[in-house]
Amino acid sequence: MGKKELKVAFFLAWRSLIRGNRSSVFLNVLIISMVFTNMIFFPALIAGIGQNITRQIVDYRISNVLVEPKKGNDYITDLDATLDLINGMPGVERATPHYTMGATLKFRGRIVGATTNAIQPREETYVSPLYRDMVAGSYLGDGDRGEIIIGSALAGSANVLEADEYVPSLGGVRVGDSVTVEYVNNFKRDYRVKGIFTTGNYDMDSSVFTTWADMEEVTGGKLDKAPYITVKVKPGYTDQFVKTELLQYGVMEKVQTTSDVISKGMGRALESFSIIGLVSMMVSLVIAVVVLFIVVMIKTLNNRRQIGILKAIGVEKAVIMHSYGFQVIILASAGILMGFLFTGLLVVYMTYYPMVTPEFSATPFVTASDLATNGLILFVASVIAGYLPAWQVAREKIQDVMRA
Amino acid sequence: MIRTHNLRKIYRMGNVEVKALDGVGIDIGKGEFVGIMGPSGSGKSTLLHMLGLLDFPTEGEIEIDGIDLGTLNDYQQTMFRLYRLGYVFQDYALVPELTVMENVCLPAMLREDRTYEQNREATIDILKRIGLYDRRDHLQGELSGGQQQRVAIARAIVNKPDILFADEPCANLDTENSRMVLDLFHEINEEMQQTIVMVSHEDWHKEYFHRVIRLKDGVVVEDTTT
Repeated sequence: MGKKELKVAFFLAWRSLIRGNRSSVFLNVLIISMVFTNMIFFPALIAGIGQNITRQIVDYRISNVLVEPKKGNDYITDLDATLDLINGMPGVERATPHYTMGATLKFRGRIVGATTNAIQPREETYVSPLYRDMVAGSYLGDGDRGEIIIGSALAGSANVLEADEYVPSLGGVRVGDSVTVEYVNNFKRDYRVKGIFTTGNYDMDSSVFTTWADMEEVTGGKLDKAPYITVKVKPGYTDQFVKTELLQYGVMEKVQTTSDVISKGMGRALESFSIIGLVSMMVSLVIAVVVLFIVVMIKTLNNRRQIGILKAIGVEKAVIMHSYGFQVIILASAGILMGFLFTGLLVVYMTYYPMVTPEFSATPFVTASDLATNGLILFVASVIAGYLPAWQVAREKIQDVMRA
Repeated sequence: MIRTHNLRKIYRMGNVEVKALDGVGIDIGKGEFVGIMGPSGSGKSTLLHMLGLLDFPTEGEIEIDGIDLGTLNDYQQTMFRLYRLGYVFQDYALVPELTVMENVCLPAMLREDRTYEQNREATIDILKRIGLYDRRDHLQGELSGGQQQRVAIARAIVNKPDILFADEPCANLDTENSRMVLDLFHEINEEMQQTIVMVSHEDWHKEYFHRVIRLKDGVVVEDTTT
């Protein structure tokens, strides 16, 4: 098969497409583009959800590495020494303690249960972006006393009736309002609301943050213990590296990376998501292959006599086969390019209007590698689907196809 | 130029054997315009297809210029058809998506021994000769039956074949267009010494042939020079 033959095959293919049935060509390209969009979009959306959940867990829950008490203990004791040890290790950006306690919040007749998190505000800024999520008022400072910041879901809105609320709220707390907090240890105190934050996660947005010093007042003494420590890893280091370092340097607590925690808590869900994505991709691919196979099969069957004539006048069967192959290559390439465009438009749209649920807000997560891989898979599948019927007809005897 | 010996073609239809050709032996010389005639089912088209390498005999030999066609493999047969044979079919058999110019040029495009310019010149020459140069950019659907058949003839001779085979080329044409096509064949035969083997069932076509080979039930019953 020389250059000349390939040129003739391409010539026949191109003429057939541009001078043949244009609506059929457009529909074929549209189908391939839709299949490509479906192959990319659904798995990308699932990847986006997975990424969002992971990001929320890293940003607001455990950071990169979570240090918890050994089995049988409720708290990490000797907190200051443990923090000094961890913060001195290579790869550690910052380690911050968290102390949580259940409480009841009261405001203008509303009573809502919530988790109160004690943090060291300035240290926390190295680990969590919470300080950037303030929608009203301001973030806590280390020296603040008698002040809290609360999530927007817990703060609620004065314009929403209690019966209409998705989660219970305080019915419209604003910055500067005074909220009564009654802890599970019966300590009770009024706090001024210093700020209101929104993270996009309802659990987080239904919680309260206070300073470490205020929590020491609640627990009644210096708080040298914590139920967990979150560790932020420096850029260039892996979570696993820091985990190994922590264990080697003698941190005697339970140490887990983000992926350790996610694989236990969310692993099965994310695995299910990726299976659903894979199934969706396979179904799309099968649809594309079947459609193209049928299209080329019908085309070759309709053109059987013409194929016979071409063979009779001395056109090699490989040229005939490649002419149909080129048609599919052109259709698939145009469809994939159009699919790129559709996918791009959808991603842009969903970046501005993300899919929002109480647990997460997600935009499709598409990488160049996803586009290239799926494009290549669809292209190869399309070409096979196109060549097969062309090969079948082209290899038949001239008399058999001419009698068709 | 063409020689067949004891040519037999048997089709099997279930358990029944149909003898389409039953021991045909003919010789056709260079430059002859030969008509193969006979009633329906006499084996005219079958013989033409055998001679033109479009079908294969059950038994017997076909030689063209001393080459035993039975010894050629699939690729060699294709190249033989491309370089040495030309075909005109009853239903014109043009590619509908190609223009007149492109249809005529198509077989020439595949030849290794010609450049693009040579193909173009040859195509233009032939189109001028058949009087369709002005319609070179038209598609098949924009031509009359007679014009389409003339384009098919131009396509068949663009490669300057040794032999031109025509399978009832006037079957779908009225008398006026049929005469136009036959006149063209006559002209090509006279001017280019083109060997033509044509199947026909119209008796008046005889006036164009140098020689008529008449078949009946797969056997040559008459071989006369006109």
